[in-house]
Amino acid sequence: MPEVPQNAGYLVAAYIVTAVILLGYTLSLYRRSSKG
Amino acid sequence: MAELLRQAWAVARKDLLLEFRTRTAIVSAVVFTALVLTVFNFGRDPTAVSALDLAPTILWVTFTFAAMLALNRAFQLELENQALEGLLVSPLSRTSLYWGKLLANLAFVAVVESVGLPLFVLFFNVPVGRVLLPLVAVIALATVGFVAVGTLFSALVIRTRFAELLLVVLLLPFLVPPLIGAVQVTARLFGDRPLSEAVGYLKLLAAYDIVFVSLASFLFRFTVDE
Amino acid sequence: MSLLHRGRWITLLGLALLAGVYVRALAFTPVERLQGPAQKIYYLHVPAAIWAETAMVLVGLGSIFYLFLKDRRLDRFAAASAEVGTVFAAIVLTTGPIWGKPIWGTWWTWDARLTSTLLLFFLYIGYLLLRGAVRDPALGARYAAVLGICGMCLVPFIHLSVYLFRTLHPQPIILKPSAPSLPGSMLATWLFSLGVFTLLYVGFVIQRYALSLLWEERNGA
Repeated sequence: MPEVPQNAGYLVAAYIVTAVILLGYTLSLYRRSSKG
Repeated sequence: MAELLRQAWAVARKDLLLEFRTRTAIVSAVVFTALVLTVFNFGRDPTAVSALDLAPTILWVTFTFAAMLALNRAFQLELENQALEGLLVSPLSRTSLYWGKLLANLAFVAVVESVGLPLFVLFFNVPVGRVLLPLVAVIALATVGFVAVGTLFSALVIRTRFAELLLVVLLLPFLVPPLIGAVQVTARLFGDRPLSEAVGYLKLLAAYDIVFVSLASFLFRFTVDE
Repeated sequence: MSLLHRGRWITLLGLALLAGVYVRALAFTPVERLQGPAQKIYYLHVPAAIWAETAMVLVGLGSIFYLFLKDRRLDRFAAASAEVGTVFAAIVLTTGPIWGKPIWGTWWTWDARLTSTLLLFFLYIGYLLLRGAVRDPALGARYAAVLGICGMCLVPFIHLSVYLFRTLHPQPIILKPSAPSLPGSMLATWLFSLGVFTLLYVGFVIQRYALSLLWEERNGA
């Protein structure tokens, strides 16, 4: 039975990148509405 | 309908007369096309890649540039001559205005392509004799698609700051589907393969043209109405 | 509660639930045996892709109705959906290669979904650039609507041409990443994630819409 690939690093990277993009956009919206 | 065509022809004629009176634009476009073809020759390693493999790509990248040039020059004319305001005051329908511009742009691109194609055949030794008619048909189909959307978008960018640049940025995603179709059909024609293999792509090209010519001609009024 | 605040609350709720998705996907969803842990990127990648494309369709629909009804609210909505769609497209284009590298061995591949999303991303960028480039807001709204409608109509052609193109060029696929039939636990995680992305879309769009209102007030429009 083939071994499960060890690629959890990519998983973590993708989840972090997604969070960064979403949080970054949230922040962008907040800042634009505060200062205009 | 006849009125539409008459008006469209009037618009096209005016544009083309302005165009060919100076001849600068058309000559520059033709020279540009020849230069692009020349650059392609030096851009490849002749020992590694045969001309025939790259031929469809070279042809279509060159023609795409030619279409972009034609569209750019089209509204340079507008800006210089303030022709647009004059047309809007006239009782011309917006749709015939679009068709007139489309015809003028197509004529311009057709001239450039008529010079470009023989040059291409000459430079890269591509045997097109037997497939000339289908090749011209494919070129026509794809070009209509490019220019239909491009004519509409020219009207969108005309008052913006970096208009030529913005036109290219807006237009390129729209050029990808017809480009894919055109390159694939052309590749089959050059490779002497039966056209039946390329039927899907031909349908793609035809559908694209029908949809976007209709859409652009309909939407044009929203770009020029105050 | 003002529109902006409502949008913020919805977004915060969405982000909190996203954390829940993360926990569930990472800790409580089984690892796919053939692809390994990296397969779980799927739970973020696909819902983002669905909304990236749906947002464009909504831009198109909003644009059509705006041109005919001339209601500014529709234009504000289209602008908002375009910006949010861009964000989701960015997620697809970043998680895609990160997923592709371990699974396909290469960072980029011209597979159907990535290529379509890339073109979609360029459409969005063009739309946002056009909006920014036209000074007069009413004119800008009209021009953007024209582009938005064309963009929406282009989407099926992108799919068709990319599909035709792709069947010519077989991908070095050893595994098929987008299995449509997921076993129970995985399906639940995926649906949960889709729900959260939907919530985030709504929250972001409401905020961006409120932002347009704010800017209009400030400019005395």
